[in-house]
Amino acid sequence: MNCREFEENLPLFLYEELSGEQRAACEAHAAACEACRTALAQTSRLHDVLAERPSREPSTEFLMECRQSLDEALDREQHGWGGLFRAWVAALRLRPASGFAGALALLVFGFGLGWGLRPRLANVAPAPTTNSASLTGTGEDLQDARIKGISRVAPDPKTGDVRITLDAERRVTIEGALDNDRIQSVLVYALKSYNNPGIRRDTLDALRAGAGQPKIRRALIYAMQNDPNVGVRLEALDAVRGLDWGPDLQQAFLDTVQHDKNDGVRVAAVDVLARHADRALTPALERLATSDACPYVRMKCTNAVRQLAKTGDDLSNGNQ
Amino acid sequence: MEGACVELAGKVPAQPVGRSEVEELTLIRRAQEGDRASFDVLVRLYDQQVLRLAVQVVHSPEEARDLYQEAFLKVYRSLHRFRLDARFSTWLYRVVMNVCLDHLRRQKVRKEVQTPDGQDGETEYFQTVPDERPTLDPERVTHSREIGGRIAQALTRLNPRERLVFEMRHYQGLKLRDIGEMCGTSEQTIKNCLFRATQKLRSELADLA
Ligand SMILES: [Zn+2]
Repeated sequence: MNCREFEENLPLFLYEELSGEQRAACEAHAAACEACRTALAQTSRLHDVLAERPSREPSTEFLMECRQSLDEALDREQHGWGGLFRAWVAALRLRPASGFAGALALLVFGFGLGWGLRPRLANVAPAPTTNSASLTGTGEDLQDARIKGISRVAPDPKTGDVRITLDAERRVTIEGALDNDRIQSVLVYALKSYNNPGIRRDTLDALRAGAGQPKIRRALIYAMQNDPNVGVRLEALDAVRGLDWGPDLQQAFLDTVQHDKNDGVRVAAVDVLARHADRALTPALERLATSDACPYVRMKCTNAVRQLAKTGDDLSNGNQ
Repeated sequence: MEGACVELAGKVPAQPVGRSEVEELTLIRRAQEGDRASFDVLVRLYDQQVLRLAVQVVHSPEEARDLYQEAFLKVYRSLHRFRLDARFSTWLYRVVMNVCLDHLRRQKVRKEVQTPDGQDGETEYFQTVPDERPTLDPERVTHSREIGGRIAQALTRLNPRERLVFEMRHYQGLKLRDIGEMCGTSEQTIKNCLFRATQKLRSELADLA
């Protein structure tokens, strides 16, 4: 090996990307050549210097925010494709919730929370303020916490704060007010992605208080339409029915009546829809009046169509 | 310094843990059929690594989020083109790398002069991992902040491809062969990039090393 070859191989030598043979040749050359030995020492010191660059780890909350905004962007993307989206929704409803995909999501979610907590600890101030999310526990407790999942979501009725307890070797709690963006992100994320219906239901309970906020409103509507668990869908429906009526709610309830596999959910949805129906809905209601499998839904739609024809636009303002 | 590399390599497994290739293939197939839930699971398998790379190559949380989003939207839009006999992680990273390269090129044009890697207001988003216990003496903190600034400055002297290769090899701990596969170029090209990057950094940081 000559000096030029040594120089070319130097980074590879330091990154251990050379074969045993090449490595030995480098070592032999460095032992014999003073100039190259100096270059090696210098580059090695450069690596020491480069190691001083602070390594920036994205925090868990930031990851959640990114996921959330990606989620929204993907929603927009799908809506842009109109028909394709509907086909997708239909396909999704036909498919029973896959246990394996759910388990995987759970695993990844647990992993996702664990990651990012460690680096955060040094910066956590122990005194929680009302409008910020904080981690409680002593630094040492959290230092090696390996998060396995969420074990509890509990709103505190007195303060309005939400406490999220994570499964770990030691207990970890995230606490903060519902209007805190981070807390919202974690909850919205849990509602959409978490595998345990009990946790989703608790999350839903926690979110109800903030249903007036757009992000939470969207998450609740999403749960009503997409949660694999009937009980959670019904509970989401219950949380959503009292909100200010708007096109998003009308569409969501119509979709639910049209597509939900469960009679109970469709019955509950058609009650709300009929109460708020306006004439634009007449064709859809007419179709449902003949096609829905459930007699109650058919009857409710028939009545709603009749009512709309009789009263003209009187009901267009919603609450009868 | 080898210790640092090894440790970083440990944090970035080339293959995400906890799933088999069969499971991943099932997810990809379903996602290709339009199943959003499967796509979401795929995203969660890789997005932490992607975000970690993103925060290293950009200046602000907003940019990192944009990069993350752009990358996965591209993946989503072109997923139907992915052939199931290829390696998904490689294909995904190729998309991510291209997004990063585009970003670095735009960045180079836009803010040649701006101070790189400003630290203010980012602490909530990027956790700066302390290399020692939290109680550092202030002099040391100032010193390491200065060095951090110098390194960030020096890194901007690399061209986008050199920068990305260097980030992937030095800070993310990926092997050159894998980087080559991700970039869709030969290992030799990647070696040349790394060589030039090292040369430039050596001369930029000569007074420190
Ligand atoms: Zn020599």
